[in-house]
Amino acid sequence: MTGKRAIPVHNQANSQNKQTSMTKNNYLKKERLFLLSSILAFFSLVSCQKQPNIIFGNTYVGDNNGANIVVVDTSTVKMATVFLDSTATAGTGYLQVGQLNDPYFGTITSRAYMQIAPPSGASIGVNDEYDSIGLIMLFKKSNPFYGDSTLAQTIMVNQVDSLYQLGSFQYSWSSKNVLPVDPAPLGKATVLIAPNIPFTSQGIGDTVKIPLDDNMGKKLFTMIYNNSDTISQSAKWMDWFHGLCISSAGVQSTQTGGIYGFDDTAVVMRIYYTKAGVYGTPAYLDFRLTNKSFQFNNIKVDRSGTPLAKLNVPNPPNVPVTPPSTGSDTLAHAGYVQTSTGLNVKLTFPFINSIALRPDYLSVLRAQLTVRPDLNSLNTNWKVPPQLTISYTDLHNGIGASVPGSAGVQNGNLVIDYLNLPNMYYTYDVTTLIKSLITNTDPTALQEGVMLNVPSPNSTNSFARAVLADYSYPVNQKITLSVYYISLYPHN
Amino acid sequence: MNKLTIFITLLSISSLGAMAQNNFSPYSQMGIGDLEDGFYNRTSGLSNTGIAYRSNRFLINNNPASFSALTDQYFTVETGIRGSVVNYYGTPVDKAATQSGDITFRKLAMGIKLSKHWGSSIGLVPFSTQNYEFNVPYFLQGSSAEVANQYYQGHGSVNKAYWANSYEFFHHLSIGIDAGYLFGELNQKEILQNPGTGASLTSTTNDIYLNNLYIGYGLQLYGKLGKKWDYSLGATFSNKTDLFASTNRTVLASDSSTLQNQELTQNYLTLPMTYGFGIALTHKQKYTFLADYKHQSWNDVAGKNVYPGKDYTLGNSDKGSFGFEISKKKNFYNSKVELSYFQTGLYYGNSYLQINGQQIKDKGVTVGFGVNSLKSPLAYNIVLQYGIKGTQANNLIEQRYFNITFVVNYGAIWFTKGKKYD
Repeated sequence: MTGKRAIPVHNQANSQNKQTSMTKNNYLKKERLFLLSSILAFFSLVSCQKQPNIIFGNTYVGDNNGANIVVVDTSTVKMATVFLDSTATAGTGYLQVGQLNDPYFGTITSRAYMQIAPPSGASIGVNDEYDSIGLIMLFKKSNPFYGDSTLAQTIMVNQVDSLYQLGSFQYSWSSKNVLPVDPAPLGKATVLIAPNIPFTSQGIGDTVKIPLDDNMGKKLFTMIYNNSDTISQSAKWMDWFHGLCISSAGVQSTQTGGIYGFDDTAVVMRIYYTKAGVYGTPAYLDFRLTNKSFQFNNIKVDRSGTPLAKLNVPNPPNVPVTPPSTGSDTLAHAGYVQTSTGLNVKLTFPFINSIALRPDYLSVLRAQLTVRPDLNSLNTNWKVPPQLTISYTDLHNGIGASVPGSAGVQNGNLVIDYLNLPNMYYTYDVTTLIKSLITNTDPTALQEGVMLNVPSPNSTNSFARAVLADYSYPVNQKITLSVYYISLYPHN
Repeated sequence: MNKLTIFITLLSISSLGAMAQNNFSPYSQMGIGDLEDGFYNRTSGLSNTGIAYRSNRFLINNNPASFSALTDQYFTVETGIRGSVVNYYGTPVDKAATQSGDITFRKLAMGIKLSKHWGSSIGLVPFSTQNYEFNVPYFLQGSSAEVANQYYQGHGSVNKAYWANSYEFFHHLSIGIDAGYLFGELNQKEILQNPGTGASLTSTTNDIYLNNLYIGYGLQLYGKLGKKWDYSLGATFSNKTDLFASTNRTVLASDSSTLQNQELTQNYLTLPMTYGFGIALTHKQKYTFLADYKHQSWNDVAGKNVYPGKDYTLGNSDKGSFGFEISKKKNFYNSKVELSYFQTGLYYGNSYLQINGQQIKDKGVTVGFGVNSLKSPLAYNIVLQYGIKGTQANNLIEQRYFNITFVVNYGAIWFTKGKKYD
């Protein structure tokens, strides 16, 4: 028997189990720690997610792998000038008076017809004395003017010599209407008007005063004094004093001239008299515009000696339903816009279908029309219209709905810079039109296009005009249709 | 078993949807993209050196002949996740933004020992990935002044679903076959944008669908060298394979209406013949030394391929790697059980892309640590990898990447009889 005590098997087994268990526990703790730290490492990477900025790869992209955008700016734009034999010049608000000698558009003469009415309820005392009679016209700063303002013009006033009434089947007055006048003028005055100030050479501010015939003035004075029926009854007045015609005596053929627009509410025929009294008080009686819709401007145009001499015009009395057009090839390779004298420009795109026939053509992205004035045709005297509206038109040469742009009606976005003429051009978004035409093979589609015209109210109030370059001009001066289409080369 | 079912189901769902790589990879726009050369398994810490490696627990899909080494009646599931941070260097890189990072699932595989000599594995692994985007100014054709912005984007992946079988002969030879099915989609998008507003003017999307069978073969020869050493020699081979490629092209207008939706003529992208050799030497079942060499003969198929793009060529790809492992084992109940292991490796190789006169190289080192759980049937492996891909020469891009890979293995003995004790 030994002194040592044998370790019971179960204790030994327990001891071994304990050891194994402890080792296991330690190992399990390490395992959990290992797991946790791995997960933490992953989460820290999540927070690093971002993308670098690298310009690489573009040189290795294959050709024709994807759709491209192709610009075609060589598609033919046919230009023609459409002539309207008359324009609506009644009740525009302005009496247009003057003469222009335009090397492109010819000699343009405008005269204004108006009816006036005597003052109502006027009375004159027995001792009141007649002084004079004159026509007063105010030229305000915002009034329309076109031409050379450095030249004086002689403005004449004539009396209308016939009944001032519309003809049979005539519903309004237009630019081609003429009323006979007494060849002896009631009065005239030569005046230079500076429209931008405004100021006249008569030295009375913005006023033009034309002395009229004293005989007529005295007669009117007496009729007012006598309270004549002619004065007090409108029909009798119109029957006796039909109206006035205000016109220019003209300018020399070598001079540019100008046409001035006088506000119709600021034109009066005035009788000056002195009211009897201790000191005598100056007084006046005004004969003002009446029947505004009967105020119209007659516009006469002589295009001889200009490119427009070859303009296709109808022979009266035959007035065709479709306004005639004349191609730019006939008119010195240009189109002519002066809506107030009946000229608008029509543009068509006869070969636009050929783009859709290209093997790589998919769809029109957008189309832009750039219209450029002839650089020789514009300067500070011959200013282009600040706006040209673009409208749909067809074989009937009418002015349809306006061609909408992204912001609605399009007027050309002209940047006015007379010091840098090549920068002055009109641009239009014609995407919708081109999309409809490019796949339209109907023969009538060849006559569908757009009309460029001066928008209202300048269509009647302004003589600003534009000579538009057609396709034959040099590249940076001609009219251009830029079609952007989506291109994809076909793959087998 | 219920926990296992849930585990596998969750992994399947998440891994199928998350094989795509998020890190920008500038070279992936060429060829078939970045070819995957990682296995996300026990060999990840060895720089994926494992053609000759055999394991009784882990799925060594480096060589299909390895599955016969699984323990009898053993069932295992493995999945791998990789987190990656990449720094970009070179002239094309904006110094203000040079880094990107992502986390992606990389692998899901199952293996089972069907009989004493027959091991089998099925799985889903990545084959190649594509992820790039860049902007370039684009001059409208027909104009010398008007510019749009051209935005390129490409992403997608080709994956391989495989069923590999391996049979052992004479306890020294194992032959395996990996029947794989490659499938995937590469989406390449080009968008022409308004340079001011960024609005799309037109967009072209090319969806390339790739698929075909892909067969690989493997062989391992193994045995003892004296009393203390074990050896293993391995070889793998895949023949030239045509990947069926069908491309669908869609062109959209600025208002997203479809201008063209066309299925292009189907063609084939040819994968080259590949082969590899490996050797593994283990000392006292503790220290293992490994080496691998792999080759892909892209020269033979470069002319046959019609990959999109230009100004790059395909060339033979070679890769060599070395690995070293220390396995810590302990005796438990009269059997040796591996508790943990430490691994390290290094690799160097040429990719199949030649750009600007440079063949893109890839080199790096790995360190791994694995733990086999005693309480559960799980084993975990975490691998740190640092590598450099590409070059800054000739206006190319060098990518310095740091990866953390996490591999989880579930293993259990199936089809046993009698009660089981903890």
